[in-house]
Formats: sequence, C-alpha cells, structure tokens
Amino acid sequence: MEAVLNAKLYTRRLFNRRVVVFYLLLALTIFLMVVNLCVGSISYPIQEIFSALLNPSQAGDLSFIVWKIRLPRVLATVMGGAYLAASGLLLQVYFRNPIVGPFILGISSGATLLVSVVMLTSFGIRLTYVTPFLTTIAGCLGAYGVMILVVAIASKVRQGATLLIVGLMMGYLCGSATSILTALAEKEKIKGFVLWGMGSFSGFKWIEIWILLVLGGGLVLAIFLLAKPLNAFLLGEEYAASLGVNIRRFRLFILMAASALAGLVTSMAGPVAFIGLAVPHMARLSFGSSDNRVLVPGACLLGAVVTSLCDLIARMWLNPVELPISAITAFFGAPIVMGLLLKRGARM
Amino acid sequence: MTAPPLLELRNLTVGYRAPVVADLSLSFGRGQFVALLGANGSGKTTLLRTISRHIKPLSGEALINGQNVNDIKPSALAKILSVVLTDRSSVPMLRALEFVALGRHPHSDFLGRLKDRDLHMVESALEAVRATDLADRFVDELSDGERQKIVLARALAQEPTLMLLDEPTAHLDLKHRLEILAILRGLCHSRELSVLAAVHDVESASKIADLALTIKKGKLAGFGQPEAILTPSAVRELYDCPQANFDSALGGLEIATDGQAGRAFVLAGTDKGALIFRLLAKHGYALSAGFFRPSDLDAHVALALGAKILTLESLNNETSANSDRLKQLFDEALLELDRCDLLAVAKGISSGEPNFPVAADLSERLVLEAQKRNLPIIKLGEANDLSPLIEFLGRLKAERSSQAA
Repeated sequence: MEAVLNAKLYTRRLFNRRVVVFYLLLALTIFLMVVNLCVGSISYPIQEIFSALLNPSQAGDLSFIVWKIRLPRVLATVMGGAYLAASGLLLQVYFRNPIVGPFILGISSGATLLVSVVMLTSFGIRLTYVTPFLTTIAGCLGAYGVMILVVAIASKVRQGATLLIVGLMMGYLCGSATSILTALAEKEKIKGFVLWGMGSFSGFKWIEIWILLVLGGGLVLAIFLLAKPLNAFLLGEEYAASLGVNIRRFRLFILMAASALAGLVTSMAGPVAFIGLAVPHMARLSFGSSDNRVLVPGACLLGAVVTSLCDLIARMWLNPVELPISAITAFFGAPIVMGLLLKRGARM
Repeated sequence: MTAPPLLELRNLTVGYRAPVVADLSLSFGRGQFVALLGANGSGKTTLLRTISRHIKPLSGEALINGQNVNDIKPSALAKILSVVLTDRSSVPMLRALEFVALGRHPHSDFLGRLKDRDLHMVESALEAVRATDLADRFVDELSDGERQKIVLARALAQEPTLMLLDEPTAHLDLKHRLEILAILRGLCHSRELSVLAAVHDVESASKIADLALTIKKGKLAGFGQPEAILTPSAVRELYDCPQANFDSALGGLEIATDGQAGRAFVLAGTDKGALIFRLLAKHGYALSAGFFRPSDLDAHVALALGAKILTLESLNNETSANSDRLKQLFDEALLELDRCDLLAVAKGISSGEPNFPVAADLSERLVLEAQKRNLPIIKLGEANDLSPLIEFLGRLKAERSSQAA
C-alpha cells in the first residue's frame, strides 16, 4: 500500500499548475486594463484611443481623457488593488488569522481621522490654497501616525493577539474622534467626506502614480524576496524562530511593510474596503496553496484583477453616476468569497 | 580528545522571571531517546524552550556539541536542532508535502527553492514516518494522528541531530501514540538522532526510552536508565499521586482503591486475574488475592492495585517443612477471608490447576470456608468473560441504591 513518492515530479506538477493560473491572471489583468482604458462615460473607437495613447503630445479632448483621466486611473486601480492584497496577505500570515485585513491595525481609521479634520473643519480651508494634495497628505499623516504607534507597541508586546486588539482599539479611538467631528460638521461637507470614506481611484495625478509605483513596487519586491521566511511564519512564530528566522526583526518588517502599503493606497484613494481581506483568500483558493512564494505575486495580480473589475462596474453600472468602489468590492466580493469557502467545506 | 556530548546542561536554571527548574546538570550523546517526565507545570516545556533558545536561561548554560546554544547563530542551530511544539493550530491550504518541505528552510537558498537533495530529504522524512500516502493531502484536512506524523516529518526534514518534542503524543489514540513513539525510537537508532521528548505517559516512556529525565519540585529528580529511575515509589512521588501504583516489571500504571465498597477475595493465578482485579478495584473494592507464585503476572497487577497477596514461594512438592508453611499461609488466607465481603474465583482455579496442584488444593479449601461463612461466591467462566461478576456488582449496586431510597 506504501506508494512510492517522487517528490521531484510532484513538486514540478504543482509548480506547472500554478504557473498556468499565474499566466491566466496576468492575461486577465492586461485585458481589464485595456477595457478600463477604452470604456468610459464618453465612448470613442478603440483605434483612436490607441493612437492617442501612442502619441502623448497629440492635442485634443481624447488625448486629455486618455492621458490625464483614464490611464492614471487604470494604473492606480491596478497598483492599489495589488498593494492592498499584498498588505492583507502579510497580516493574515503574521497573525495566522484569516479574518484579518490591512486595516485591522487602525491604518484606515488614522487616515480617516486626519482627513476628517481637513474636510470637515474650517481648519482645512486655509490650507487648500497651500497644496492641492491636502487630503492625500492628511491621509498619509494619519495612516503613518497610527502605523508608528502600532509598531512601537509591537516591539513591546510578544503576543500577536494582543497586538491585534491594540490595533482594533486604535481604530475605535480614531473612529470616535471622527464621529465627534462629523457630528459637529456642516451638512454640506459631510457628503463629500462620507464619499471619500468609501474610496475611489478617480483623480489620480501622475506624481501620485510615480510615488505608488516606486515606493509600493519596492515594498512588494522586498516582500517577494522575503517570501521564504514568510513561509516559515505559516507555522507560527516559535517554529519560525526554530527554523532560524530572526523573529523581532522580521515581525517589524511585516508590520511596517503591510502598514506602509495600506497607508500608501489609503492616503490617495481613501479606504478601499474588502480587497485586502478577501483577495488573499481567493488567491489561496485559486492557486491551491499557502506558499507565499506563489501567493505574493499571485495575490497582487488577483488584487489588480478584482479591483479593476470593481472599478469598471463602479464607473459603468449607473453611468453617468459613479459609485464608490467600496460599495462594489463588498457587494460582489462577499458572495464570491462565501461561495468559494463553502465549496471547500468552510475550512479556512 | 573525545567529542563533546550532543547535549550538555551545566547548572542550568530555567524559568521566566522566577526559576522553574534550578541547577540542572546532565549530558547525553547521539542516538538516545530521552524521556522527559514530570507533572503538569513542573517545567518540562520551559526546559525545552530554553534549550531551543526561545527563552534565555536564568543561569548556567545549555551546550550542543560543546557550544552554548545562545552563541550559535540561529540559522546554524536550525541545522542541528529541530522542535515539535504542542501548538495544534493548522495551516490552511498547504499540502503535506509542502508542509514537510518547510523543514528544509535552514538548508535551502535565499528564495527557498528546493534542490534535488532537499526533495530527497522530504521524501525520506515522509517515508520515515510512514506517511508517503499523505503527501498530496491538505494538512488541515488530516486527522490528529496523521497530522502529528506530518509535523514529525517536518522536524525530520530539517536533518537535525537533536530533536526536542513537547508531548508529541498528546491527543492521540493508543494506536497512533504507540506508532509515533515507535517511529521516534527507530529513528534514534537508525539515524543516530537524539530525541528529548516531554511525555506524560510513564508506561510508554519506561518501555521505549533509552534514558529518563525526571523533574520534581523544581529540581532534577533523576536521570538515567528508566529501569533504574522509574521505580514504583519514584513514580508515585513524581506525580504526587499516592494511589498510582507503577509496576516496573509490567510497565503499567494501576490506580489503587480506597476500599470504600468493601473488600473482595480473588482466587486467581497463572495470569487469569488481572481483569478481575481491575474490575473490582474500579468498583471500589479493596483486594485480597491468592495463591500465586511470585513470578505470576497476577501478583504484579494485584500488588500495583494495592492488594494483600498470598504467595507460595517454591512449594510445589509436599514435604513436611512445607506443610507448616502451607498451614500458616492458609491461616493468613482465612484471616483475609474474614475481612472480605465476597469471593471471586477465576476459571480453572478451584477445579485444580494441573501444573500447580498446591494452589488448587488451597483454593478449593478456601471456597469451602467461604461457603461456611455464607459469603457470596462468584465463579467466573471462560478466560475473559467477566459477566457473572459484572452482573453481581450491578445487582449489588441496584440493591444499595434502592435501600438508600
């Protein structure tokens, strides 16, 4: 009954299967990018869109729409989705908890609090003249302020669960402060703030795209290169230590990388819900593995695919009214995740 | 110069802030199965975690191959030492083969790519725990026993010379417990691997371990061959459990009774009595039993259960010197019988045991005496059929409860 095991053959077969999924996702990403570029509230023939894309110096409405509106949005959506997924994946591995997402440590609440300060109080009005990136800067300060606090606390506590609770409490704290500001704010300002709170990939400037690409890309590359110790973390901290991983250093890296990615996206696009929580699951299920060497690039691609799709729906469903992206991600994503999990016997 | 021992503890004191176990000094070499025994909370896990350098020693040092573990680089230590923890949380969506391959971490390259040699070690680890057929399964879908094998294989794939295991057989049923321990012992001897395993099960430890290490009240209680260390009194003391009687010959643990239900005399011998003794003890009877040769297994079980036993040394042939001794023994038996509330007779005892006529004769006479005293006498049938005794005890219980009502 003892079957002869050929580990080499077996791992190659697993690898090949995963490569196929990977290329499928890559093709899907590119396809959705093209669709998002071509579809919009004003429709143009595809050839014209491509010619505008290939000749950036061309004058005219179409060139403006492609280069200033659609292309930045397509790129921001792809990167935003990828980074949120990577961030969620990191934290799920670290906490060994499947219901953890990138915002579990209070990153989005911190961003929201500071954005509420500039959007809801008169404090922000004067600053608007100083910089057009006011909400972005506020979101960034909020997100990284919370991140620094959490990381500082993390170096003191040993237990992951404690840190999780600290992050949650931080979220509640910021949330209550935001509520107070909302209660005191003028009616007209509240709608804009609420919409910001549901996230959107519209209105990205090229400078933001470059920042996203360089900082986020660097972080994702670093995460991929550290997929091996990340795999050791699948077994838990103590096992990881017994395999020779420097736990203290690596824990800080995980928390900082995950928060930095989530903070980067949140400060520019607002808190985009659900992607960071759900995409790692979808990736695990579609690759049939928890191996982070597969999952880091895999979750990034899947994050890009899912977010692009959601952004397409958000823009086109009730065209010309544009829906907030968080509404779409959760509305379509939650049933998919439930379905996938139930199919696998709810074993996550 | 001889090579340093694989593991050496020098005046090692372990604990978190306050010492849990103090001043441990011992050493052992390769190819040893060392059972670490002690009651819950005695510091077994703390000791293991100190050796695996998860916590720092309070004083003293732990040396592996002559080097202080805290001076060895973590990545180098991981090639010598692997651990199996009590942690039972599982990893979702990971196949057993991939799980075992995680053990190659200290040996594989920067990106964790598996070379031929790594794959070979994974194969051989799965073979060693007899789990090659599980390779394709997801670890979170395995049963406890299967999972533990995979956990063990992962630790093996690390190619350690020393493995620390914290209760590797907890939660497992008898079959898997024995299988895991047998696998571990086999590996110790075939791979020159040493295992230091915290175990709860004194019985298996005494049978399987090459060395036993016992901790009691924050100190090393004993270290050496289990045959020398695990004496009945030492085991009773180790677990602070006066009722537990460890029989070193059988390697079995019996629970003595307080005799609240009364006392029963059992006529057994030639290995027929063990089940009868245990059944009566479980029902709260103190035991008197006879008539055995000292080498009889029944005598061991009865003693471990706290019974008063009557043994006949080498009294097989009737000489005049022996007849005095026989008379004395029978008088003793009568005294015991006077204290008893019932007499249970194992199959074949009263009808005469051909190779032990003296005992049969004594037994027959004792049955007659019991009849005179109007004691309930329960005669048992085929070897393991305890039903007459079970029925009797059941009836008695029912009577008592109706009286109480």
